[in-house]
Amino acid sequence: MEANQILFIAIALLTVLSAAVVAFSNKIIHSAFALLATFTGFAMLYVYLSADYLAVTQIIIYVGGILILIIFGVLMTHKIYSTTKKTAHNSILVSLLGGVLAAGLILFIISLNPWAANIAKDFSPTTAVIGKEILTNYLLPFEIISVLLLGALIGAIFIARQEDKEK
Amino acid sequence: MSNLNSIQYFIPELFLTAAILALIIVDLFLKRKQKSIIAYLSAAASLVAGFLAYQQFSLPATSIFQGMLVLDSFAIFFKILAAFSTVIVVFISLDKFRETAEYFILLLIVTLGMFIMPAVNDILMIIIAMEIVGLISYVLAGIHKTDLKSTEAALKYMIYGAVSTGIMAFGFSLIYGLTGHTNLYDIQMTLASGHVNSVAMFIAFMMVLAGLGYKIAMVPFHFWVPDVYEGAPTPVTAFLSVGPKAAGFALFIRFLVTIVAHPSSGAADTFVQNVDIQAPFLIAVLAVLTMTLGNFSALNQKNIKRMLGYSAIAHVGYMVMALVVFNKDAFGAIMFYMIVYLFMNFGAFWILESLSSKLGGEDIEHYKGLGYRDSFTAVSMAVFMFSLTGLPPLAGFIGKVYLFAAVIKQGWLILALLGVLNSVVSLFYYVSVVKAMFLKQDDELAPIQTSLYHKIMVLILVVPTLVLGVYWSPVIEFTTNSIGLFFGR
Repeated sequence: MEANQILFIAIALLTVLSAAVVAFSNKIIHSAFALLATFTGFAMLYVYLSADYLAVTQIIIYVGGILILIIFGVLMTHKIYSTTKKTAHNSILVSLLGGVLAAGLILFIISLNPWAANIAKDFSPTTAVIGKEILTNYLLPFEIISVLLLGALIGAIFIARQEDKEK
Repeated sequence: MSNLNSIQYFIPELFLTAAILALIIVDLFLKRKQKSIIAYLSAAASLVAGFLAYQQFSLPATSIFQGMLVLDSFAIFFKILAAFSTVIVVFISLDKFRETAEYFILLLIVTLGMFIMPAVNDILMIIIAMEIVGLISYVLAGIHKTDLKSTEAALKYMIYGAVSTGIMAFGFSLIYGLTGHTNLYDIQMTLASGHVNSVAMFIAFMMVLAGLGYKIAMVPFHFWVPDVYEGAPTPVTAFLSVGPKAAGFALFIRFLVTIVAHPSSGAADTFVQNVDIQAPFLIAVLAVLTMTLGNFSALNQKNIKRMLGYSAIAHVGYMVMALVVFNKDAFGAIMFYMIVYLFMNFGAFWILESLSSKLGGEDIEHYKGLGYRDSFTAVSMAVFMFSLTGLPPLAGFIGKVYLFAAVIKQGWLILALLGVLNSVVSLFYYVSVVKAMFLKQDDELAPIQTSLYHKIMVLILVVPTLVLGVYWSPVIEFTTNSIGLFFGR
C-alpha cells in the first residue's frame, strides 16, 4: 500500500468515526466537539479531490464559523453539561435497516452507471477559475443569493428580537 | 445571452429587488401608526412587477444570464399569477399585520423567488429559487412569535423542508453525475442521446420528486400541510396554498419537460421520456394517492382551516393527475385550474380570516347559522365551497373538466374515474360547512355587521368564481397562448 492510500484511509476513518460520535453521543457537548473532527476530515477529503478552494472554505466557514457558533450556543446554555437527550434513541433495528437500505441504494447506483465526468487527478489551484466563473457564467445565482441572505437576515432578526414594551 | 444584455429582459425582477430595498429603508422612517403604508407600497410594487412581466409577454422566447434562466410565455404566465396572488394576500393580511412592516417585505422577497422559480434553466437556480421561497415561508408561518401553534407550524415546516430539500439536492447531484451538466437543456440532450442507466435515473427522479412534491404538497411528502395550515396565521396559510404552490407546479412542469422528457419530433405538443423510467405511471399512482388521502382525511375535520389544508392536498392530486399525459393540453388545464383555484381558495380563506374573530373560532360549529346572521358572506362561502367541490355552473367545475378532459383524451380512463369518485367524496365535507351555515338555525345569535372592506374583498373574489363558470374562453385562450416553452442554452 502506498503512503497516499494509507493517508486517505486514515482521513476517511477520522471523518466516519467522529461522525459516529456526533450521532451516538448522549451529551450534546461531545457531539459539538466531535463535529470539529468531522468537518476537518471533510476539508481534507476535498483536498484529495483537488478542490483546494472548497477545502479552505470548509475550514473557514464550517470549522471557523458555524462550529464555533454551535459551541458558543452550547456553552451559553444553562446546565448543558448535565442535560442528556430527552428523546430515547429509536429502535436500533429500524434505524439500521433504513441506513443499510440507503447505503445499499447509493452503492447500487454507483456500481450501475458509467459516470460522466472524470476528476482531474493532478493538483492545480482552482480559486482563480472559480472566481472567474462566479463573475461570468454564474453571476446571476451569485447575485440572487444576496437577496436570499437579506431575507433570511430580516426573518432571523424578526424571530429573535424582543418585542418593545412600549405600545 | 451575456449577462449585460440579459438585464433588459430581467426588469420585473430588478424592479422587485429595488422595491424590496426601498421598502426596507422607508420602513426606518415610519412611526408605528404609519406602518400600513408599507403594505400599500408592497401591493403596488408587486402589481407593477406583474405589469412589467406582462409587458414581456410578446417578446421572443430566449435564455438569459448565460443559460441560467429562460424567458418564455410559460414563465411569464406564472410570474403574473405570482404577482397577482401577492397583491391579494397583502389585502387579506392588511388588518392583521398592519403594524408589522417586515411581514410585507418578506412577502415581496417570496414573490421575487416565485418570479425566478418558473423561469429556471439550471439546477443551481432551481435550488436557489426554492430556497428563497422556502426559507422565507418558514418565517412567515411563524410570524406570530407568541402563538405556540404558529411557532410549531414554522418549526415543522422548516424541519420537513430542510430534509426534503436535502434529498432533492442529492437527487440533482446524481443527475449531474450522470450527465455532467447543470444546465437543464444540456442535461436533456445528454439523456436523450442514451448511455444513461435508467435505474440510476429513476432513483434520481424519485429523489428530486421529494423536493418538488414537498413544495406542492403531494403525497407522500404532505406531512407538514395540516399542521402548518392550521398553525400559521390565516393570511399566510392562504398565501402558501396558492402562490408558492403555483410556482412549484411551474417548476414541476419545467422539470418534466426538460430532465424527464423532451418534445417529440412528430407531434409538437407532446413530450417523450428521455430515458424510459415509467414516469407517467409513477405520477399517476402518486396523484391517486394524493387526492384519495387528502379527501378522506378531510372528511372528519372539525377545524375549517385544517379541512382546507387536507382539501388543498386533494386539489394538488387533481392537478398532478393531469401531469401524467405529458402534453400541452394538460399543462394548459393545470394553468387554468391554478387561476380558478386562486379565486376560490383565497375567497374561502378571506372569509375565515375576517370572520373568525367575530364568530369566536375557525371550527365548523362556529359557522352554525351564519346564513341567518350574515347572508351575503354565507352565500359567498357556499359558492366557494361548491366551486372547490367542482359543481356546475361554477369556475371549479370548468377547471376540473379541462383537467379530466386532458387525461381522458390520452386514454387514462381509470385514472379519470378515480378522480371523479374523489370529487364526489369531497362534496361531503364541503357541504358540511354549507349545512352548518344554513340548516342549523340558532335564534340566540345576533346578526353580524361586516365592514365595507370585507364586502368588497368578498365581491372581488366571488365574482370571478361565478363568471369563470359560464364565460371562460378569454382565460383559456390566455393560458393556451402561455404554453410557449423555450428549450436551449
